Amino acid sequence: MNPISSDLSQPLWDSQPYSIKRHGVSITNCDSEPVQTPGCVQAHGAMLVLRPADLTVLQASENTDRLLGHPAGTLLNNSVRAAIGSDGEASLKAFLATEPTDRNPLYVFTLPAWGDVPPLDVTAHTIDGVVVVEFEATGRTGAAEPDYYALVKKTVARLQTARTLREFCELTAEEFRTLTGLDRVMIYKFHADGHGEVFAESKRADLDPWLGLHYPAEDIPKPAREVFKQVWVRPTPDVAGDLAELVPLANPDTGRPLTMTYCALRGASVMYTEYLKNMTVTAGLTLAIRRGDELWGLIAGHHYAGPKFVPYQVRAACEFLAQVVSLQQQAAEDREHLVYRLKIDGTHQRLVAQAAQEGGLATMTDGQPTLLDGMAADGAALFHLDRWWRVGNTPSDPELDGLGEWLNNCPEFASSARPLYATDSLARDYPPAAAFADVASGLLATPLSRTNRNLMLWFRPETTQTVNWGGNPHDKPTVPGPNGPRLSPRQSFALFQESVRGRSLPWLTVELDAAARLRMLVMELVVSRAERLADLNADLTRSNEELDAFAYVASHDLKEPLRGIYKYAHQLLEDAAVVDEQNRKKLEGLMRLTVRMDSLLDSLLYFSRVGRETLLTEVTDLNEVVAEAVEMVDARRTEGPTEIVIPRPLPNIRCDRVRCREIFVNLLSNALKYNDKPQKRVEVGFIAPSEDHRRPGFPEGVSGLPIYYVKDNGIGIPARHFEQVFKMFKRLHGRDDFGGGTGAGLTIVQKLVERHHGRVWLESTPGTGTTFYFTLSCREGA
Amino acid sequence: MPWTQQTSVTLVIVEDSDEDFDTVCEAVKRSGVAVEVQRATTGGGGLTLLGELAADRPALVLMDLNTPGTDGREALVAIKANPALKAIPVVVFSTSANPRDVGFCYAAGANAYHVKPVRYPDHLQLVIDLVGYWFGRVVLPAVGATNP
Repeated sequence: MNPISSDLSQPLWDSQPYSIKRHGVSITNCDSEPVQTPGCVQAHGAMLVLRPADLTVLQASENTDRLLGHPAGTLLNNSVRAAIGSDGEASLKAFLATEPTDRNPLYVFTLPAWGDVPPLDVTAHTIDGVVVVEFEATGRTGAAEPDYYALVKKTVARLQTARTLREFCELTAEEFRTLTGLDRVMIYKFHADGHGEVFAESKRADLDPWLGLHYPAEDIPKPAREVFKQVWVRPTPDVAGDLAELVPLANPDTGRPLTMTYCALRGASVMYTEYLKNMTVTAGLTLAIRRGDELWGLIAGHHYAGPKFVPYQVRAACEFLAQVVSLQQQAAEDREHLVYRLKIDGTHQRLVAQAAQEGGLATMTDGQPTLLDGMAADGAALFHLDRWWRVGNTPSDPELDGLGEWLNNCPEFASSARPLYATDSLARDYPPAAAFADVASGLLATPLSRTNRNLMLWFRPETTQTVNWGGNPHDKPTVPGPNGPRLSPRQSFALFQESVRGRSLPWLTVELDAAARLRMLVMELVVSRAERLADLNADLTRSNEELDAFAYVASHDLKEPLRGIYKYAHQLLEDAAVVDEQNRKKLEGLMRLTVRMDSLLDSLLYFSRVGRETLLTEVTDLNEVVAEAVEMVDARRTEGPTEIVIPRPLPNIRCDRVRCREIFVNLLSNALKYNDKPQKRVEVGFIAPSEDHRRPGFPEGVSGLPIYYVKDNGIGIPARHFEQVFKMFKRLHGRDDFGGGTGAGLTIVQKLVERHHGRVWLESTPGTGTTFYFTLSCREGA
Repeated sequence: MPWTQQTSVTLVIVEDSDEDFDTVCEAVKRSGVAVEVQRATTGGGGLTLLGELAADRPALVLMDLNTPGTDGREALVAIKANPALKAIPVVVFSTSANPRDVGFCYAAGANAYHVKPVRYPDHLQLVIDLVGYWFGRVVLPAVGATNP
């Protein structure tokens, strides 16, 4: 390590008492600048530092000669009496003995005018074992003094009428400008990330408005902010004014520099005055707005027409007002957040009610309202039912897939009480988000369930898209100050642009709470739906069991007597000695009906099983299935010459092999059964998805699937019966025509096709033939 | 009973329907096979009967499934779980063609499963075939033989 370079990197004020006037400050170390011990006062006033015991002058500002008539050198080590006279000394002594002056500058008395020096207000406070006495012009011109008490009282009354935080701040700005006579008063609000926004403004009509502009956090360095947590008011009556150094710089009793935090005359940092000069500000007055121990914002007053001295009296009124504003803005902001909260919650309740009514969460992105109507966000997305539902500006589906996966594993989601992830710079936690920083630098996310990875997300864009950053790029660039480069609005803006890249406006506590509450509402909805579904399922299971029991009764208990009836009829016919022709016919009819009843019961039983039993799907060669079906109906081919044609090989598909065979068996057997042609012809084939699906009579929703068909040259079906053919036990022909049958075949075909998520329909010309079409779309594992 | 013959071969039939029992008796008679038919009307009765006949172990059980009280399924399970009885072939003879019943019975150890036809001649012929098969073709375990 090179000792020389190490020495150079050391701030100068670490080794000797600091004076801004002598040492200045450069941009790289401004955050560690000793703003509380600048060693200088603003030269429009004078300062004496006294030993409390005997009121001996320990330090004096180098300008006492001009304001008090005694050079600093002659005052040092002498009683303060030399500067303020015996009466003054007595007043000061009495005042210090009785008033709470610790870190609290209070007005003591006024020194009368002498020569060309105006009357001076004398204020005093104690700190670190010394008495600090400040001298400033009273500002009185001889005209009637305004009644500051009445002014303040009127202002407080006006502030109480404000309905929103912004209105409140606008009133505050206005009142402060009236009170101080400054050209511009801004309410400067700090955001959570430290950057500031001109939230309200009152200005001279000819000035450019700065309202709504945002400024980087670096514009008001940390030490400056710390000061405003301790003092309420900070005057800079002449930005271009001189500084007067304390003589000596260090307290001779302690060797330490004077802590000037509470001094109205505290010399402003060169960086600050240059910053103001860059904005052509000639005088400034800044007050704090605090929320508890935190700095909420500033009341920043600028003057552009030369020095502007705001005397102690007015500053005291301002200080009192700033304290009132601090208390009341909190109430105003709470009220505004409450209004925002009520608005979000109201919208969210309507969202959930809508989702409950429509029966799906999807309405939260495509209904009215949507997820964007409550929360201030530019985009929102929902992962639900295995897909994304998006509204507004959001990343794409594939981008969301990646983000969703990452979120589901993020530690914030592991919290069972409040799984919530919120960020104003997503790419910092999740680097791939840099690709879509323009729409989703800010993310507020919450899971909707633990098991199925459902998510609810809101997005905010990069602030460069939404925020008006203060600092016109055409403004003059950084001015190199006498002490090196200085922070200017332009340079700090350039620095800041880097730091806001990929950053959104932060999420408010109100918004996080609202997201957490909406999550609960949605989960309650989902749970209550799940409970309802479970109830329905239980009902369904119960009724299935009842149907099972019923089917069993039908199959057994109803069939058994039929066998007995048949048997007795049969025995009567066989055993009776003489049965006349009429009775014989009756007995034969009895037996025939018994058999028919038996087969109807069989069909009913089979149908009830087909609807409920699980499909066993596998990839199946339909050619084999059709070949087996043809074999099973082969018996009918003996009734006459029959031709079964398969024009081209059928595809392999996923289906339940046995049940598909059942479909073909039923259709083939119908095709042959209801056929009176001398040469029966049946064609089994399919129309590929790429071929023409748009035919009249074809149902919607079959495109994209192969359509299978069984076409015959049979008797045909009149169009008016197209619907009826699928009805249970519905027969179009006499009971014994065309070989009889129970009339359950097509009903079972329809059921089997539906079990395969398909459709079945027909085309027919009576006398020419019928074609049955159907689709099968069995999903994996269905 | 008039059709009972002097023989040591016993057929136990569990059947609650008189018509169906009558059909079985008629079929046995027509088959000409010499067997003694013992009837129980419930599954429980069938088990009791088998217990009483333990000494001259019956050659075959013809079991209806849906009987009052302890039904044929339970009786089947009890027989096949009983070391003294499980070697006896049990032939199920039911109205039900439900695959679930068929599956259950074979899984429980039934030796055959038949559905009763509704037509009397078919029904009769089936029992004749069945008796002819089990008492004419099949080698049955010897009476009094113990289980392995």
